[in-house]
Amino acid sequence: MSLRRFFRRRQWDEERARELEAHLAHEIDDNRARGMTPQEAQRQAYLKLGNPTAIREEIWKMNSLVSVEDLGRDVRFTARQIARNPGFAVIAIVTLALGIGVNIAIFSIVNGLFFSSFHIQDQSRVIELGMRQAGTPWTPAFSDPEYQQIEAQTHSVFSSVMVGDLGLDGLSMGESKPARVFTQYVSGNYFEALGVHPLLGRLFAPLEGATPGDDPYMVLSYRYWKEHFAGDPNIVGRQVALDGHPVTIVGVAPRNFESLSSVLDVQGWLPLGMIVPIENEPLEQFNAEGNRSMFLYARLRPGITQHQADAALALVAKRMAASHPREEHGTEFHVFSLTAGRLSGGLDQNHAYENVSAIFLALAGLVLLLACVNVANLLLVRATVREREMVIRSALGAQRFRLIRQMLTESILLALLGGVGGIALGIAGTHAITSINLNTDLPIGFSFPFDWHVTAFAIAAAVLAGAFVGIVPAVRLARANLNLILREGGRGIAGHGHKFRDALVTIQISAALTLLVVAGLFIRSLNKSEHADLGFNPNHVLTMMVDPGEIGYGLTRSATFYQALLPRLRALPGVASATVAQSVPMSDIDAGNDTVTIDGYTPPPGQSAPIVSNNFIGTDYFRTLGIPILDGRAFTDADNDKGAYVAIVSQGFAEKYWPHQDPIGRTFTMGADPTHPMRVVGVAGNAVYGTLAGNGPAYFYAPYFQHVTLNSLLAIELRTRGSAAAMIPSVEQTIHNAAPLLPVFGVTTLHQELYSINGLLLYEMVAALAGAMGLLGLILAIVGVYGVLSYAVSLKTGEIGVRMALGAQRGDILRMVYRQGLWIVGIGLAVGLAASFGVGHLLRSLITVSATDPMTYVLVPALLATVALLACYVPARRATQTEPVEALRTQ
Amino acid sequence: MVHSKKEQEMLLGTLDMLILRTLITGPAHGHTIAHVIEHTSEDVLQIEQGSLYPALHRLEDRGWVSSYWGASENNRRARFYRLTPLGRRQLHAQTHRWQTMVEAIGRVLANAGRAAS
Repeated sequence: MSLRRFFRRRQWDEERARELEAHLAHEIDDNRARGMTPQEAQRQAYLKLGNPTAIREEIWKMNSLVSVEDLGRDVRFTARQIARNPGFAVIAIVTLALGIGVNIAIFSIVNGLFFSSFHIQDQSRVIELGMRQAGTPWTPAFSDPEYQQIEAQTHSVFSSVMVGDLGLDGLSMGESKPARVFTQYVSGNYFEALGVHPLLGRLFAPLEGATPGDDPYMVLSYRYWKEHFAGDPNIVGRQVALDGHPVTIVGVAPRNFESLSSVLDVQGWLPLGMIVPIENEPLEQFNAEGNRSMFLYARLRPGITQHQADAALALVAKRMAASHPREEHGTEFHVFSLTAGRLSGGLDQNHAYENVSAIFLALAGLVLLLACVNVANLLLVRATVREREMVIRSALGAQRFRLIRQMLTESILLALLGGVGGIALGIAGTHAITSINLNTDLPIGFSFPFDWHVTAFAIAAAVLAGAFVGIVPAVRLARANLNLILREGGRGIAGHGHKFRDALVTIQISAALTLLVVAGLFIRSLNKSEHADLGFNPNHVLTMMVDPGEIGYGLTRSATFYQALLPRLRALPGVASATVAQSVPMSDIDAGNDTVTIDGYTPPPGQSAPIVSNNFIGTDYFRTLGIPILDGRAFTDADNDKGAYVAIVSQGFAEKYWPHQDPIGRTFTMGADPTHPMRVVGVAGNAVYGTLAGNGPAYFYAPYFQHVTLNSLLAIELRTRGSAAAMIPSVEQTIHNAAPLLPVFGVTTLHQELYSINGLLLYEMVAALAGAMGLLGLILAIVGVYGVLSYAVSLKTGEIGVRMALGAQRGDILRMVYRQGLWIVGIGLAVGLAASFGVGHLLRSLITVSATDPMTYVLVPALLATVALLACYVPARRATQTEPVEALRTQ
Repeated sequence: MVHSKKEQEMLLGTLDMLILRTLITGPAHGHTIAHVIEHTSEDVLQIEQGSLYPALHRLEDRGWVSSYWGASENNRRARFYRLTPLGRRQLHAQTHRWQTMVEAIGRVLANAGRAAS
């Protein structure tokens, strides 16, 4: 049909009408000539022609772009076919649903990590800033002076620079026990620059928060307002207390806006300057150049690229290094795109996320390929069964194009049904991942919404899969020589495709091997990490967090509170030791790090003073955590504000900064307290803090009771004699007796903490996902091997019969079938091994075992080979049981 | 019309061939073609005259026939169809293919007959 006719079909139709009129006129002439009456002549003419309107309709339809009726007929026909052979359809649909479901689940995670919408205006123009100092990783943390400088000197590239600083505070109304809220202290321009408008009341004005302590206002998140204030429409103007400080609720943020990370659900916002009174942060500390805790975001001016922004920031860094050589030596700034799903830690992790995402998408793609190949093979086998039907329909005039379209309709229908199943599986999968317990009671969590990105992806995956599985048998049919098939009595279409089918199964084996090797590497890494020496003993340790600041205690009063509480906890039966600390391994709270000036150590030229992670701890800390003291002594009760300033360094610290020297008696100072040099009194074993990747072995400890002004949020840690979890009620009761209103949160055992998001949880998730895909790949590949060999055996029944009639032994037949199987499996394994080495190499930075881990590379191929050969055995055995006479008769 | 739909599709190839064969002797309009087919097939292939026109339309689409308005033998305006060189080649090819196919079907049906007995 030509397009010209499509557009001119009305005119064309009029011409047809005239043509038909002419035909009728001729027929009436003829009839009249035979002597009919005019009425009879006309009636007979119409009878003979048929309904002219129907004819015109048919021609009209031929001039239409898609023959809807034909499509409908194809779909109905396919539905009948499927209903006639439901087993086949169910297998095909389930296989495709698994393949598509895995892809949807993985894609929706990747989509959630990278492409989530924060419901802000023009999201792609908002960037996050990172900084580093000679050699350190990129971190998203800035100090207030750094923010001021950047804000003042980048007007040419940024239309606004925003601050966000996270906090945990106790929100109370009247005399009630405070509820913990996850707050963010933001610059006044934060909401305006992001284009976020209030749902109720107002948000902050640009100048609010500039002066410390001046603007006691709070904006609630939609969810917090709904859940804790029952969506009270008169909330604006309500007075509440935050850590004992009165603040006024001025507004509610819109429904979808929570933070610039899809993981953190901020519950309330306060102006930046409120950090000083609410968080008890002394002004000089708030203003210290090296006190870096703020996230900086900025909106790029129209037309400005990230590259240009970097250039402007480099200039700022240079000026700052000149004006503050101590704190800013070697400082660099860099802009990063917002990464929705980054949990915590350095901006360098963005690359790791990208790599993991790419690898998992590729693995999921492999699973889909395996599924498609299986279904394509099934369809090929069926094509053989149905080829006589095809040949006869073709002989009776059905166009080959129609037959192919019919087969494609069938494949795409199967794939769409598979896609629907896949979407269901995908949603279930993402839901399972979203609801994983992160072992934290902070309001953080994954959110992987099923948005239009995912929907589009799901449809695309289903259609692609349908086209793939349909195209193979369709092309074979198109190429098949129908006459030959009729003459050979039916082994035409698929019969010539032995090599092709074998190749498909070879691909399956190698893809399955790759999947299994990746799974193996991740599982081995998890296993290794679980048994790694962490440097502390996580068994029988109970940990919880309290912050007397939340009930309005000042920093000194908090310290007194702890001092009184600890002896009462130690007195509990079943408690072996108790302590307080500011950092807990793998937990959400972390004392962070500080710049240190070390006596007797000069940084290499071009580098600033080193930044070292630290912890502020109570007495008994090392005994409680089971960290060995290798040299010198642990802290004692005498190490308080009256005693000399002391510190304990890790073995890694001592080796790095005082190599081959006795560290005991040496001194160093930290940026937070530059006037009090600390004397090293002990060396502790290296322990893993932060994440499993660790902060590096250099670490130092200082007594909390000598630095009480730094923070009042502490973890209470207890070593118990029996089960740690069993002690929870009595410990909570003791704290309650000491301070009835004090909220206690994060009550968990250190062992559980190990499986939190900072610990093994991500490894576990990755290993579970990779393992599930590997298992799926294995099953699909085995079905493939089994299918192709069974089919080969059924085709060769005659040949086997002849051979056996001529005296071949069962062993010969077994060998014959196995030879084909061995070729397929062998080549598949070889190709798969090569591919696995490549993929393993890419995974190097993500796994803790070697990329060529011998255990994985020996066990996995051995497992796959064993299972594959078992799959060969069933058809091979069937072949040996062929009865020669029977086989020859069926020919 | 309803039950003849399927029949029509089956006969598509046949009807096309019959039309092409009719036109080999020279241009003709629809009414003539219908009558020639009716007579030469000795009423074995009883087609509704109307189904001729979609077939003609299809053939013209493929470029196997071309058409023009002219005056008929009774001096009425009618649309005439003429075989194109492409259509002529097609007729030869189809005739050949058809003969092979008929032989093949004969063999299949003979086999089926034997298996059934």
